This record gives sequence, C-alpha cells and structure tokens, in this order.
Amino acid sequence: MLRASAVAEKAGVPSSSLVCEGFLGQASTTSVGLGLPNLPVALVPGHVGTQGRGELEKNILGVTLDDVVKNLTEAPDAIAVAVDPGPRDIVFSGTIDEINRLFIENEWSDGLPIIPPTTERVEAFLEFTDRDPNEVIAILLPDSRAATVWSIAVNGVMAGCRPEYMPVLLALIEAMSDPDYGVEHSGNTPGGETLITINGPIAKQLRFNDEQGVLRDGFQPNTTVGRFWRLALRNLAGFLLHKTDKATFGNTWRVVLAENEEILANLGWSNLSEDLGVPKGRNAVSIGRYTGSSLIASASGDNGDRIMPYIADGLLKQHTWQLVFTIGPSPGTLRPLIFLSPIVAETLAKSGWDKAKLQQYFFDHCRMPAWEFERYIGEWTEHPIRDLEDQVNLKRAPQVFAESDNPNRMVPITFKPENFMIGVSGDPLRNHAIAFAHNGLLGYPVAREIKLPSDWETKLKMAQ
Amino acid sequence: MSNYHEIHDVVWPRATRQAEVLETAPRLDTLDGKTVCQLWDFLFRGDEVFDLLENGLKERYPQVNFISWKEFGSTHGADEREILANLPSKMEALGVDAVISGMGC
Repeated sequence: MLRASAVAEKAGVPSSSLVCEGFLGQASTTSVGLGLPNLPVALVPGHVGTQGRGELEKNILGVTLDDVVKNLTEAPDAIAVAVDPGPRDIVFSGTIDEINRLFIENEWSDGLPIIPPTTERVEAFLEFTDRDPNEVIAILLPDSRAATVWSIAVNGVMAGCRPEYMPVLLALIEAMSDPDYGVEHSGNTPGGETLITINGPIAKQLRFNDEQGVLRDGFQPNTTVGRFWRLALRNLAGFLLHKTDKATFGNTWRVVLAENEEILANLGWSNLSEDLGVPKGRNAVSIGRYTGSSLIASASGDNGDRIMPYIADGLLKQHTWQLVFTIGPSPGTLRPLIFLSPIVAETLAKSGWDKAKLQQYFFDHCRMPAWEFERYIGEWTEHPIRDLEDQVNLKRAPQVFAESDNPNRMVPITFKPENFMIGVSGDPLRNHAIAFAHNGLLGYPVAREIKLPSDWETKLKMAQ
Repeated sequence: MSNYHEIHDVVWPRATRQAEVLETAPRLDTLDGKTVCQLWDFLFRGDEVFDLLENGLKERYPQVNFISWKEFGSTHGADEREILANLPSKMEALGVDAVISGMGC
C-alpha cells in the first residue's frame, strides 16, 4: 500500500495512504526505507476489522476524510533522517556487558547476549568466502539496506556462528532477496517465521543435526544459523518490533532443519532443495515462511493405505485462513509442507509410495466442502473474493474448484499436487510427522545453492 | 570469549541504508476538477472505505472525478510488481492528478 503511494509520489503524483491507527509507526518507519520519510498518511481510527458499518462511516467521514484532503493539498513537513556510521566504523569500545547493553538499547540485538563483532572476528568469517567483503549481495526492504558480504559476516559473528558457516549465511541472504520469497512481507501481522532447510554434504561437514530433535536448540549450527536469520532481518533488512515488524504474536526464530540425506538416498527420493530446482548432489538452503506447525503423532501402520489418511488429515487441519493464498490476490501460492520421520518415509516407500504418489494423495484427500473453503477466504477473513466458481470463470483458479455448483462438493487446498512439499528428518525410529501452515506469497519457498570457497576442505579441517 | 573485563572494539552491525531521501510530489491547490485514483490492496474493507471517501469528497469538491480501484487490480499480491511497474504510465494515460492508496491495517 505504501509502496504504491511511493511509486505515485516518485512519478510526481501526490498521494494519501490510508493507515489504521495501530500501523502509524510501521508506516513512518517503512516510509524512510522507501526514500520518502514524510510520505503523508490518513488516519483510520481503530481497526476496520472490528467496526460495524456505522462506526466505520463515522471514523472515515469524521477523521480520515480531513486527513486525505490535507495530504493531497498541503506539502508535508520535511523529516530529517539520521546518517548511519560506515560499515567498518568502530561504534563502541567496551566490556562484553557494556556491548550487550548498547546493542540491546539500539535494537541491534534480539535480547540474547551477542558475540562482540570485532574486526578480527569478522575477518575470520571472510576467510570462508572468495567474495569481496564490499560486494552487495542484496538490497533489502523495508529499510532498503545493502547487505554486503561484510555485514553478513558481522551478523554471523553476533549470532554465535562459527566462521566456517559463512557460505551458508551468504546463500541464505541470496535466498532472502529472491523476489519470489518476498522479504518485504516479513513484518506482516500473522507473524509467520521462516523455516530454513539445509541439504547436501555440507550439512554433515558442518555437523548439523539431521535426526532426533532436529528442530530443538542444542546443536550449534542448527541453532546459531537460525538465530542469524532473524538478526539479519533486524540489522540487514530493518525489521524491528513495534516499528516495521507488526507480528501480532510472532514467535522465536526456528532452528535450522537438516534433512536426512542418507535416508533420502536409500529411498531414491529427491530432497527439498532439488524439489525447488537445485541440481542433485549440491549443497543448498531452502526457505519458506510458516505461521505454525503441528505434530502428527504415531502415524501407525505397515503401509501407505493405513498411514496416509491420518497424515493427510493432520496436514489439512493446519490450513484454514491460509487458503486466501490458494484463492485470492496471490492465487496458487499455498505450499503446504510436511516432514516425515525416516521410519514413516521408509514404511511408505516399502509399500510402493514415492513422493509423486504422496503429493497426489494429499491433493486428492486434503479437501473440504466448497462452502467451508469460501467461508475461510471470504466471510471470516473479510476478503472480497468469496465465490470459487467466479474465480474459475475469471481463470484465477483451476476447474477442480468448480466441478459442480453443489456447495458440498469437495475442493482441494492447492492448485496442483506438486504444490505439496515433502521432506524427511527427525528421529529415525519414531513414527511421527510434522505439518507446517504456509504463508503463500508472503514467504514463498525458494532455494539457493551454497557456494564454497577455494580450498574449502583444507580450511574446514583447520577450523575444526 | 576472553576475560570479563577485556575491552572489545565493535563494528557497526547494520547494513548501510541505500534509499536516497526524495521530495514528495507537489500538492494540489484544490481537488475540484482533479482526477483522483483509488489504489487498493484488496484488504480490510477498502471497497467500503473508498465508497465513503468518494462520497465525502464529492460533497466538498463537486467537480472531483474518481477512477475506481477496479481499474488497477490489487496492489498487494501476485500482481503487485507488475501493477506498480506500470502505474506511472497508466496514471499518465488516465490523467491522474492524485492517489488515495489503502489499506494499511
């Protein structure tokens, strides 16, 4: 919404942006990143989602209207923007306690103690890349900050990463900047959190946990690389709570999940990064944003016909309001994700199931009545798209959503079977699965290959 | 980490901001006789809000004209990048003098 206003202003057309009361702070900080710190906004009192028609009318005509007129006819006051220090400037000298206090006070830290980013520590990270420290990897919204090799290393130090994780950190910021992922949405109110998956031989080389307790903190690479991600969102992109990050609840960063490559190879199944386009056998990271997850405990049975109805039921039940990403402003962008524990995957494979068959099963069985689907995307979430048949007629949804006009017809939750994403990790000998509720366009899954520096093996050996 | 009282020299932890500070567009002397376009992200009752604003502004400025959000499509979603890339030329073609953009909620 502000991005549209900024485009208009830059084209010489005055704008007024309609902003609900609780979002004025986000608007003012986001405007700085758009290069227009005094972008005019018109106040919408309270939140429109909780107002009856009468209250909405009173607010819009009594408050917003005056602001709109003022925005379009009076020049906004200029706002000065603070000048940042240089990337290698020493901003403070002090003890570890003093540094941590300073970093928390300036919102440079997540609240946990950080490792002081000294030049020496940063340079140790730079040993693990052949890239120029000043190379800009990405310009990241909302602040429009330039994430350089140097600034990525700084935040890796702070997160407690080891220097040899640097190739992974670089790949993550490349993935973060993928337009399909949409980092600019990372401060949205549902507050989904990114799940990072790592694939390839590097996961073992760096000692990522890929089995029991894979999503629990306790293993340095899984934990610190996960923490790096959120520090990067804070310091490289500019997402700050109570400002540009408007997560209504939010949650802590997720520990990185390493897939069990050995099991995948035994089954002949592709891994997640291959499914997202990275060639087989390469080191890669995959990212996607998810508002929640739910364990599907004790998926019992000795074949797919017994196991899959329960798992499909669990995956379906993770998705309610998220269906606005299937039918809505970003049609077909819902990518439900499920991880099977190795023993579940092996049991399915033994009874003749591969990934394609699993995806087809999810597509055929993760279904709900059309009237229920329409209630999620329309009435309950106040989106303007409310009729599946209309969307099919407008060619914004496939025919499967309107095979009849019976409101009780069963419709899928994705456009096609391939939209379901399947991975393998967790305790090798416990028959659980975990389903993730995806955020569609606001964190669409993407993958990036991890590029290793020259003499990787030698450098790694010396570091370990 | 070394000893508790050791002094560390730490570097700036943030990436450098790239956006130049730009001036906003010149404002209008009046809305009468001007064309105002509505840009909507298809969220948070914008259709109702734009109707209310359109009627309210017409009462104050009887000669104001509006171009509906329906002309542009959603400014938030899969089409956002394309719509915003084409916005300057489309505004020019339609003779747009001002924009109201919603809804940030």
